[in-house]
Amino acid sequence: MIVCVAVVGHQNNPLYIQSFTEADDALKLHHIVHCSLDVVDERVNNPKKSGPLLNETFLGLLYPTENYKVYGYLTNTKVKFILVTTDLDVKDADVRNFFRRFHAAYVDAVSNPFHVPGKKITSRTFAERVSTIVKAFGLSSAG
Amino acid sequence: MANYLAQFQTIKSSRDHLVIAVEDVSDLWPTIKNGFEDRLPLKRASLNNKTRNPVSVENLPAEFILTTDARLRSRFPQEQSLFWFREPYATVILVTCEDLDEFKTILKPRLKLIVQNDEREWFIVFVSRAHPTNDQATKMAKKVYARLEVDFSSKKRERCCKYDIHGPEANFWEDLESKIVESIRNTLDKRVHFYEDEIRKLTEQRFMPIWNFCNFFILKESLAFIFEMAQLHEDALREYDELELCYLETANMTAKQRDFGGQDKGDDQAALLNPGNKPLTQIVQDDSFREFEFRQYLFACQSKLLFKLGRPYEVALRGYSFIISFSKTLAVYESILPFCMREVWVVTACSALIRATSSHYKDGSVSSEVEKEFYRLQGDLYSLCRIKFMRLAYLIGYGINIERSPVNSASLSMLPWPKPAIWPSLPPDASSEVLVKEKIILQASPRVKHFGIHRKQLPLEPSVLLREANRRRASLSAGNMFEIFDGRPGFVDGLGSDVSLKTSPSKKAPAAIMSRTNSSPGFESSIDRPMRLAEIYVAAEHALHNTISSPDLWKSFSSLEDFEEKYLELTKGAADNYHHSWWKRHGVVLDGEIAAVCFRHGNYDLAAKSYEKVCALYAGEGWHDLLAEVLPDLAECQKILDDQAGYLSSCVRLLSLEKGLFLTKERQAFQSEVVRLAHSEMKNPVPLDVSSLITFSGNSSPPLELCDGDPGTLSVTVWSDFPDDITLDSLNLTLMATNNADEGAKALKSSGAIILNPGRNTITLNLPPQKPGSYVLGVLTGQIGKLRFRSHGFSKVGPADSDDFMSYEKPTRPILKVSDPRPLVDLTASVSSALLINEPQWVGIIVRPIDYSLKGAVLHIDTGPGLKIEESYAIEMESFNHELQNTADIRKEDGAWEKDSSNNYHKNLEQLILRDDRIEFPEWASSMTSILWIPIRAISSELARGSSSVNPQKQSIVDGMRTIALKLEFGISCNQIFDRTIAVHFTNPFHVSTSVADKCNDGTLLLQVILQSQVNATLTIYDAWLDLQDGFAHIREDDGRPTLGFFPLIISPNTRGGILFSICTEKIVGDHMEARRESILNIKYGISGDRTIGAHPPVAGDSNRLGCDRRDLIFRSALSLQRPVLDPCLAVGFLPLPSSGLRVGQLVAIKWRIERLKDFEEIDTLQHHNDEVLYEVSANSVNWMIAGRKRGHVSLSPNQGSRIIISILCVPLVAGYVRPPQLGLPNIDKANISCNPAGPHLVCVLPPALSSSFCIPA
Repeated sequence: MIVCVAVVGHQNNPLYIQSFTEADDALKLHHIVHCSLDVVDERVNNPKKSGPLLNETFLGLLYPTENYKVYGYLTNTKVKFILVTTDLDVKDADVRNFFRRFHAAYVDAVSNPFHVPGKKITSRTFAERVSTIVKAFGLSSAG
Repeated sequence: MANYLAQFQTIKSSRDHLVIAVEDVSDLWPTIKNGFEDRLPLKRASLNNKTRNPVSVENLPAEFILTTDARLRSRFPQEQSLFWFREPYATVILVTCEDLDEFKTILKPRLKLIVQNDEREWFIVFVSRAHPTNDQATKMAKKVYARLEVDFSSKKRERCCKYDIHGPEANFWEDLESKIVESIRNTLDKRVHFYEDEIRKLTEQRFMPIWNFCNFFILKESLAFIFEMAQLHEDALREYDELELCYLETANMTAKQRDFGGQDKGDDQAALLNPGNKPLTQIVQDDSFREFEFRQYLFACQSKLLFKLGRPYEVALRGYSFIISFSKTLAVYESILPFCMREVWVVTACSALIRATSSHYKDGSVSSEVEKEFYRLQGDLYSLCRIKFMRLAYLIGYGINIERSPVNSASLSMLPWPKPAIWPSLPPDASSEVLVKEKIILQASPRVKHFGIHRKQLPLEPSVLLREANRRRASLSAGNMFEIFDGRPGFVDGLGSDVSLKTSPSKKAPAAIMSRTNSSPGFESSIDRPMRLAEIYVAAEHALHNTISSPDLWKSFSSLEDFEEKYLELTKGAADNYHHSWWKRHGVVLDGEIAAVCFRHGNYDLAAKSYEKVCALYAGEGWHDLLAEVLPDLAECQKILDDQAGYLSSCVRLLSLEKGLFLTKERQAFQSEVVRLAHSEMKNPVPLDVSSLITFSGNSSPPLELCDGDPGTLSVTVWSDFPDDITLDSLNLTLMATNNADEGAKALKSSGAIILNPGRNTITLNLPPQKPGSYVLGVLTGQIGKLRFRSHGFSKVGPADSDDFMSYEKPTRPILKVSDPRPLVDLTASVSSALLINEPQWVGIIVRPIDYSLKGAVLHIDTGPGLKIEESYAIEMESFNHELQNTADIRKEDGAWEKDSSNNYHKNLEQLILRDDRIEFPEWASSMTSILWIPIRAISSELARGSSSVNPQKQSIVDGMRTIALKLEFGISCNQIFDRTIAVHFTNPFHVSTSVADKCNDGTLLLQVILQSQVNATLTIYDAWLDLQDGFAHIREDDGRPTLGFFPLIISPNTRGGILFSICTEKIVGDHMEARRESILNIKYGISGDRTIGAHPPVAGDSNRLGCDRRDLIFRSALSLQRPVLDPCLAVGFLPLPSSGLRVGQLVAIKWRIERLKDFEEIDTLQHHNDEVLYEVSANSVNWMIAGRKRGHVSLSPNQGSRIIISILCVPLVAGYVRPPQLGLPNIDKANISCNPAGPHLVCVLPPALSSSFCIPA
């Protein structure tokens, strides 16, 4: 189950964080997303390590922990997408696919002329679209 | 083969270096032993690794053992092949012989026998005992050695070397070492090859039923051991890696149910770095090993090799993933393992790994990237250890002391509870412990954050422990579970935390009551009763005590203090290591956890420092949600520490966070703190930056435009993000010139206290005069109580976006434009044509404001000499009609405007009083062009003079010019001054010129008086008369008035009219000559003109008189009449000058001829010498030099027709046209002299002829 998706701006500022847990514990997911930026930074600042990933927007698994997984995605404009999932056996292809769709939704959201670049995404349409994508991800991984 | 496992292990542990066998044929070893053993370990050995590539090994340890030694004897051949690694790698045969025969007969056969065993790598060391001084013996030894070489060395391989006991040759030791190494290399290759073959054979059988992992293991580990002995750790490591891979494959492959292991005492302590923890024989399970122990064993072997290779980083890297994967494996077997075995194992494994890797790690030995990575891994290990430790602590009831922070919640709430087959039940005699725990639970109250912030606490548990524990109790059915939740809504959703039970005071009471009833004796025996939380804690504690074998670890759980100590150690470890790595955020966040502990222990100083770091991290990247969690804690620390500045800034930061993060009540609490502090006595008042709270901008309207030097009022929009009204005791705003960076910012001050409402406020500030340029808003400063604050926050239109945290956008739009100095008003005279002199006249001054209001303007009037303001009359001011018309024409396209102006236009007329030479402008004149009529009189005492052809008069325009100096003070505070001096032209109404129109025979002269109108007005002459001078008289005996019917004579502007007077000459009698030399023309006239055009009737103060009666004006002009020459007596003629012309310096005779025209009969009596004439030559002495008498008498016969020539020699002095000398006859009246021909006015004088004497040759 995807518990959280986030869009983080190029200055590492949160642009959109949506948690999908029922409990009122969004803050811990904020923490997970925020800390995962360490890994993104490390990958971006260490071209040697991330050699093959240089031209790749999908950063792969950021965090191997026992209980959840954090995936990252970096757009050309240095906007990061972070995905936190409690599914421990997730296929990379699924995550890639998820991010591709998420990216498309993001691009549509920021193309809105009323959206101020660098500001939080408040579009309700975007939120709906994201939750649809998240739900679809759960189905495909279950299947 | 598995039976040999024990033996194998023994051998392996007893021997960890190579063996070199010494075959001591001639009993030499004791004498040379020391020399040989000194060479060990071998300094440098070139060996081949598994892939047959040469590898240089340094300090290869080895041991010389005599073949007769017990360790090398008595071995079964079968064992030999199995444990081949322990067999000698080289055999050194020590011989000596001093006699050739002996060599041939005894030694050689014996040696042959020894070396026939091809299995061994051997070489012979011939020891020469011959003393170097003993030539004979030396020679013999050489001979024998030569023989030996021939017999045993081949071309392929040197197998002999010679050792002199008395001083060995220089290269002997090298030779020996190389021979040893060569032997070792060959043996090693041979054995590796053998083992590889064996392993391959076994591998091929892997999928057969006879496959036995133990055999494979022995072979594989033997090979690894061989490599390890040869210091080829890399290869050894590879063998272990392969072994591990193979094990995992086979372990998963076989469906056979095996024991997992891990149930022995002490198994909870991870043995992942201790290969000798348990003998392998103990963990053999059929044909394989128990997974629990064996995987740890393999990892221990690997890490041992890695440490030998100096790669602690890799140990940590592998270790971390091993722990993770092994922990998963443990989870699979959790139900058969002791309670919380998995968590305990991870804790001990992490601790062991951290200890080992950090002790092996040397700073600077690896690249900085690896170093950072290493520290990151250490941090990860600490972190993992910390999480598991916290989980265990929670289970035994220390959860109350664990901060419910995002980081703890993230790691613990997603970590599942342990899943033992059966949750541990309460030991029979634990009721006192339960009571203690219960007390702790009841006493614990969640810490209420500062400012009364109350939040739902983050969960530390994946689900409710109470339910989870009871569910896992075998005896309890699911139905019973709900009994404990009865009437407690907090549990219905299943997501509430255990703590929620205690947080709300209303829920606390029934819980407590229920607990008491439940804990009454007698209930403990009841198995079916669900366990209470305290019981769960106690049960877990007991179970854990059984699980944990390490007294150190158990000590950490024994008391709250010990728990906290360990907790701090782990947290600090993680934080410090993360700080050394790339993962700064992890480090800082953990610092926050340390801060929480420090805070709880009253170490506020440290806590504040750490909290500040965390806040800076979150604030720097705009993570407001997280910041809102920490910032109140920081504020509380600062408050306790009495750090007013910090506390204030924290409050301000809290206020500037996103509004949704705090309740209005809480935000009001922040504000009241700010206000309270601001009004209190602060020790070190510091300016407070409220950029995020108070932002400002200009109005959206265009910038205020001011003219140079004008003050104004500036209206500024200020946004307040305070939740309540806030009173600013003062407020300053700086303006910065955009065009001039050097110019310091100018501050505008508000007059008094300002109350800012939440949201938008408009503030007006007085603006003193500014220099020209455009200005933008700079910084807002002010005071709240005693607190100075400043704000750089510039808001565009709306309130500052709180997530716009990094850029303070500079205001770019100017708020004020002060234009360069420009004319603001124009004062001009309304007419340029002349006004009547000596009469009160209106002089019009057009006052034209140029896009500027003249409100309150004051005009100072200063008249120049010869001009006087008629103060008896009021000054009139009226709107200037003509100008308006023009303006309307210009703005034709703007139809609306034109129409408006024409409709609303009223002609204003107002009389103003001049006071102290000042006039104040009326209101209506402030914006429109107006005309100011000033009654004025030019004074001239001179009489107008007429002109005639005889007496031409140059009229100078300056004569009638008068000036009025005007000074207009205007502007908002009369700051603008406009000076202008206006020239006004005054004139007489007429210019009079006369000429004699005709001369009648009777001596009557017709004097024509021509009147040229000088003014731009119609003049009407009502009467004119001439007062004649002496020598003239009117024909009739009146005053020479023309006939009455002639008048009125109207003269249009700038036209001429004429009047004829008939006069005659009259004899001048005696002294009257002096009395009247000029005639006066008197003209009574009227004027009808408009003041807007030019001259006009004089100002009449009394309007009644103006209408009914015209006031005739008198104009007088002096005329100078000359008597005509009527009876010439003498004629003077100027004789022509020589034709050659006049030249400077040349003498010339100028001649006049005087001729008597008639007799002087009449005047004989008057003249004494009537035959003599007095002459006088007058000449300008500058132009002429006159030689001869200038004045003298010449005799001239009184008879008519007599003539005489007067000749004067002159020298012209100046070239050019000059007036020639004049001849005058002083004694004779001019009227009696006729000049015929008339003398020239000017003569031409040429420059002097060039004189060669002046030419100086070059």
